[in-house]
Amino acid sequence: MKKGLTVLLGLCLVVAGSFLYSNVTMAQGQVTVLGVWGGSEEDAFMEMVRPFEEETGIEVLYEGTRDLPTVLTTRIEAGNPPDVVHLTGPGLLRDLLARDAVFDISEFMDMDKFTAEFDETWIDLARGDDDGVYGVFISADLKSLIWYSPPRFEEYGYEIPETWDELMELSDQMVEDGFRPWSIGLESGAASGWPGTDWIEDILLRTAGPEVYDKWIFHEIPWTSPEVKEAFELFGQIARDPNYVYGGPVAVLTMDFGDAADPLFTDPPRALMHRQASFITSFIEDRHPDLVSGEDYDFFPFPPINPEHGNPMMGAADMMSMTNDTPEARALMEYLASAEAQEIWVNKLGKLGVNTEIDPDAYPDELTLRMAETLHEAPEFRFDASDSMPAAVGSGAFWEGILNYVGGDDLDEVLEYIESVAQETY
Amino acid sequence: MEPRSLFGKILMHTIIIVLVLIWVVPTLGMLISSFRPASEVLNTGWWTVFKSPLEVTHLTMENYDTVVERAGMGLAFRNTFIIASLGTLIPVTAAALAAFGFSNLNFWGKKIMFGIIIGLIVVPLQMTFIPVLRIYHQIGLSGTFLGVWLAHTAYGLPFAVFMLHNFFSALPRDLFEAAYIDGASVFSTFFRIALPLSVPAIASLVIFQFLWVWNDLLVSLIYLGGTRDVAPLTVRLASLVGSYGQDWHLLTAAAFISIVVPVVVFLGLQRYFVRGILAGSIKS
Repeated sequence: MKKGLTVLLGLCLVVAGSFLYSNVTMAQGQVTVLGVWGGSEEDAFMEMVRPFEEETGIEVLYEGTRDLPTVLTTRIEAGNPPDVVHLTGPGLLRDLLARDAVFDISEFMDMDKFTAEFDETWIDLARGDDDGVYGVFISADLKSLIWYSPPRFEEYGYEIPETWDELMELSDQMVEDGFRPWSIGLESGAASGWPGTDWIEDILLRTAGPEVYDKWIFHEIPWTSPEVKEAFELFGQIARDPNYVYGGPVAVLTMDFGDAADPLFTDPPRALMHRQASFITSFIEDRHPDLVSGEDYDFFPFPPINPEHGNPMMGAADMMSMTNDTPEARALMEYLASAEAQEIWVNKLGKLGVNTEIDPDAYPDELTLRMAETLHEAPEFRFDASDSMPAAVGSGAFWEGILNYVGGDDLDEVLEYIESVAQETY
Repeated sequence: MEPRSLFGKILMHTIIIVLVLIWVVPTLGMLISSFRPASEVLNTGWWTVFKSPLEVTHLTMENYDTVVERAGMGLAFRNTFIIASLGTLIPVTAAALAAFGFSNLNFWGKKIMFGIIIGLIVVPLQMTFIPVLRIYHQIGLSGTFLGVWLAHTAYGLPFAVFMLHNFFSALPRDLFEAAYIDGASVFSTFFRIALPLSVPAIASLVIFQFLWVWNDLLVSLIYLGGTRDVAPLTVRLASLVGSYGQDWHLLTAAAFISIVVPVVVFLGLQRYFVRGILAGSIKS
């Protein structure tokens, strides 16, 4: 027994010793990247940086986790941040700025080239209070889109609505014809409710305008203000009405957002319209491989509501920021900003490019190209508000409020609850 | 046999079978889903395969292929194995020695030290991440297997010491006294008497610790990171899914690959398990 144990312990020490120095993380010629992408997204990212690795000889070590905020804050607090990090919204960037954990890229990047290739919107979104630029956008998702099936619209003689009133008239017409106009799915695991926040954002942006929208993000107007209340009411008109929405509020609450486009493609259709971001195409492709993009499914922009504010577009985007100032990280940031890199990225994932020099042929299909054009032609662009607010509100109380409101709670109570959380947070 | 007791038996067995089914059905669903192609998993439930049980063409190994190929499962398996083997061995060895000391030796401050160790059971490990990672970073342990082993040792020790201490205390003291009279040293008493007697307790502790380390995602993610050369299975599996939850159908296949080893370990050590759980529960 004693002998056996000694041998075992000895063996352990040998194994331990041999692995102790086998993986020292930060060597010369490496750059570590932390992001939320997994699966095919991770593959696409590695494909995007491959030319960079070949050209410079710098190895890119990618690490993906969906718990990015937790892992990132822990590593930063411990003094062990990754070199480059993928941020999903300005909210997270402001967090890093407050911790003084992110570096100004305008100090080393060719800013003339940068400002020539990127629209002002995308540079401003990455700007800190000191006017430094703290991130590069590599792609965007357009959220102000309504999906439909062109063959069905043709069959029943429906026209693409140009205004909110026309949209509601069309919805009524569909109800009259015996259809449910809308399909909405709010279920998304621990993040349930977010598709509803997009609805509120799209509506508020069009009823109250971009300026009020910005004030709302920074909590300069309360959640109980009439503008916010109106946006919730317009959303509730659709989502809480069993005549308007497939399956009524119960289905709205329980249907997975990824499944929510399916009712458009059943025969006969269970719903005719679905409001969702550009990335829903990958879900439709997975579920219905036989449908042709642009023919069997297509989009029209979320229509303007108050003509005074025109039709601003709302969306989200992927930003890369530098959390460690090394020559390798600088080189990678420069590469990620280039049209060359972003062409590979949008081609693999069907995301919308941000760099204006991107070759239109890089998009995998005509539908994606049209979405990208819609994004670039938009008179105003606003970042998804819930991703821009502090997490306790934007990805906490707001989500919860949406679910409670659709579930039948009194609107004033819901808004007062979100307001109380907001007052504690800001 | 009396009819009433026969009825009782049937009732008992029915209840047990129903309970077993409740536990097994989700696993069965997962197993079937893991063999179905992506488009079918997304469109219909796994039970629909029973409508046409003879059409095995509906089933595919595609998910397993993708998981093994894309996730770099071989490397991840190796990493998990390295982490789990020593992440179990070190704490169990240390805990056995410590527990023996606490239960059979007398030294100054023994009760206070034991109290502190037991008190550590209630410290949530999340609280330790930032300070420990800061120290690891300074001494170059972050991103190394040694760092993860030490972390798992520290997190596992309090409970392990507690459990083995109860077991050792329950062994008759006369055994040890007889050994001392025959001239045995403390170490030979431990190796020749205490250790052989405590195999059931140690085996169940090994199962507990091994399963905990094998399934751990958080500790590895924080101390080791998710780069391919060091990431264990759990971290690789988590990153199979896209940021919006795409490709979740792959998780069914991945889950089955990852539970193979724990199931083997559990079945292998199972006969000790029940005995071990009772370890130290009755003091004679």
